[in-house]
Amino acid sequence: MKCIVTIELGTNAVRVFAFDLDGNIIGSLKGYYPTFHTQPDYSEQDPDQVFLTMLYVLKNLLNETIYPKKYKVACICFSSYMHSVLPVDKHGNPLGYAITWSDTRAKKESYELKSSSAGKTIYKATGTPLHPMSPLIKIAWIKNNDKDRFKQTSKILPLKSYIIQQLTGEYMVDYSIASATGLLNIHKIKWEPDALKFAGIKENMLPDLVPVFTSAGKLKKAYQTSLGLSADTKIIVGSSDGCMAILGDGVSGNGVATITIEDSGAVRVMGDKVLQDEKQRFFNYLLTENCYVSGGPTNNGGIIFEWFTRQFGDFKNPFDIDHSMQELINDALKVPPGSDGLIFLPYLLAERAPIWNPNARGVYFGLNIKHEKTHFVRATIEGILYEIYSIGKTLEEHRNIKSLSINGSFGTMPFCTQMVADIYNKPVRLRQNFHSVSFGSFLLSATEMGIYKSLDEAAKKVVLTDLYLPDKQNHKKYMQYFKIFERLSTKLAPEFEEIANLQ
Amino acid sequence: MNQFVLKQDSSEELRLFPHILELGIVKNTSIRLNAFPKISVDGIKIFTVLEGKFEWCINNGLFTLFPNDVAVILPGQEFGSSNGVLEIGSYSWIHLNVQRKGSNELVMGLWSSLSESECNAISKILLANESPILSKFIDGAKILKLIQTELANQELGYHARVNHFIDELFILITRQLTKQSNPGRDFPKTFMDLEQALRQNLSHQWTVEEMAALVGLGTTLFNEKVKSYSGFSPINYLINIRISEAIKLLKRPGISLTDIALDTGFYSSQHFSTTFKKLTGYTPSEFRKNHLSKK
Repeated sequence: MKCIVTIELGTNAVRVFAFDLDGNIIGSLKGYYPTFHTQPDYSEQDPDQVFLTMLYVLKNLLNETIYPKKYKVACICFSSYMHSVLPVDKHGNPLGYAITWSDTRAKKESYELKSSSAGKTIYKATGTPLHPMSPLIKIAWIKNNDKDRFKQTSKILPLKSYIIQQLTGEYMVDYSIASATGLLNIHKIKWEPDALKFAGIKENMLPDLVPVFTSAGKLKKAYQTSLGLSADTKIIVGSSDGCMAILGDGVSGNGVATITIEDSGAVRVMGDKVLQDEKQRFFNYLLTENCYVSGGPTNNGGIIFEWFTRQFGDFKNPFDIDHSMQELINDALKVPPGSDGLIFLPYLLAERAPIWNPNARGVYFGLNIKHEKTHFVRATIEGILYEIYSIGKTLEEHRNIKSLSINGSFGTMPFCTQMVADIYNKPVRLRQNFHSVSFGSFLLSATEMGIYKSLDEAAKKVVLTDLYLPDKQNHKKYMQYFKIFERLSTKLAPEFEEIANLQ
Repeated sequence: MNQFVLKQDSSEELRLFPHILELGIVKNTSIRLNAFPKISVDGIKIFTVLEGKFEWCINNGLFTLFPNDVAVILPGQEFGSSNGVLEIGSYSWIHLNVQRKGSNELVMGLWSSLSESECNAISKILLANESPILSKFIDGAKILKLIQTELANQELGYHARVNHFIDELFILITRQLTKQSNPGRDFPKTFMDLEQALRQNLSHQWTVEEMAALVGLGTTLFNEKVKSYSGFSPINYLINIRISEAIKLLKRPGISLTDIALDTGFYSSQHFSTTFKKLTGYTPSEFRKNHLSKK
């Protein structure tokens, strides 16, 4: 029997899944790798440790589950988080660690480009917001601030390209990951000369640009032997986690937006046109030719509620934060929607979409003498979800959204899902314990293998079983407070800047 | 109990206990100036407040101690009152000749019946600990009192008991310290701290017990937490770090395979080679050849 293996290189861990050809999960394993913060703005990962962890986990899954169940691996498909940057020397050896998406050292370069006229053209051409997360801007930072490293750099790779190169020897980057570098012209699917110029690199320093279905060559002999895989095992370059998540939720056309809330969050739509926004609030990433995934990311998802739980949760049973979170949610249920007028701006980690303000900070607003701890709990969750709504609302200026799907560990907690339905006033679909990113990779692989004619057809295969319907009364209530939330989020900009400078 | 001081060089009671430098109780009934200056401590001092309130400076931090609070001062740390004043109240203390060896080891001595790995874990926790104060730690005062009583009465077996009580004191202090840091509350951070400790001393032959003690969890729970958080057992996670570091070293010419093996914590180059090949598909020398021959 054949099976499809998907490998997801996430922010904190690699997740490896095996699916049979009908899309049923045969087994899965994960392996954690650390992120190093050697300086406050820095966020880096050891590419060799990521590679090794991936190998280790893959090998364990093969030997513990896949081979004992008599499956043969037909293909291995990759997905990964976006915006990573890894310079390598002329032998392909890493020059230092890979810089992850959450690294913000390049604030100055970002500000410079954003306030120039070149910035506007580059955003239009590339679809990637001008922000320290963008590889374009990170590379410019290396050029300006780490000259030795830049001089030795022969190629600049996204983390996933490095991993695939280790396995097969080929330097490749798929359209999706490439479209998140800020260097790709997403209309022409070619590297954008103006962006390359700003970054200070030449086209030949980047890996080969290929569609997401491309096979990245044969596994090296040593890995065939150590993993027990045959030479004809296809290695598919795959896509980014963002694009895979929306595909995995079965979204293929207009009318549906996908919400992901893990530590951070995003609201995404799919369409055949780039979403042009004068205020540069959205990303536009490429899944395949003429298929764009557009939306906005927030820094402040479930991680904010986790922060709240750590500060104010009950830890009498000391070893389980999930338990404490659940207790707090039970508290939140005792408070009516709107938290009796306590409003929370969740910008503890500054904010990307829709306000794109690196100085934004958290605020509790409207506090009065009757508010209790339980109000804070509910207000905190409401604030996180108002922020998710404010992204969706700006997307609705461009697209018609009739219904939503939701994924991610925070978003799929029933209390949160219902609140999303109420705030948006739209039906929300989901499937519990469903791994949208990996399932997206499965659909992509199955399409490549000819099981489905197209990604469109593959997407129709997805059934999200649970449905949450909005409560109109609650929606009205939430909107009264959201108005204030929305105004505060921009009104406080000067104070945000002042306090950020003091911190 | 009345105040008293036993000193190693003058007190007969301590003849069998060369590791106890000093032991005593102070009752102070009026504020005394210049009675408690800051000094650098040689060995380990453990204080417990019995009455009153004291403001002490320990290792550059200022702390206020109330009854039942215990202060642990480690070798080489500064200790005293910031203005030299001794406040009203009483405290009891023990001063032990326990020395530091290297950056993260304390040498207990033959009197202790702690095993080598227990001793290792205790040293690591004490030395990695940032707050020298254990608040409301009643066991501290209790054990000091037991030691004093044994020394005063010198009944049958007091020699063994005193030494056991000192071990007990170290064990309970360490357990309390790890409880105070409450590792489950923020396991990702706990795990990051662990990772850092492992990397800083990668050549050490870590045991699971040591790792668990370092973050303050029982071995079983530790295993479970690490497995569910990282996907690996603690030992496999450690091997993962070892090989990742070895990969970097292999890419540098001029370091012998044996040195790499030992630096990254493998007990022989054979052990290194087998583990490396099992994981990566290459032997270390093949891997090195692939990466160096290109140059």
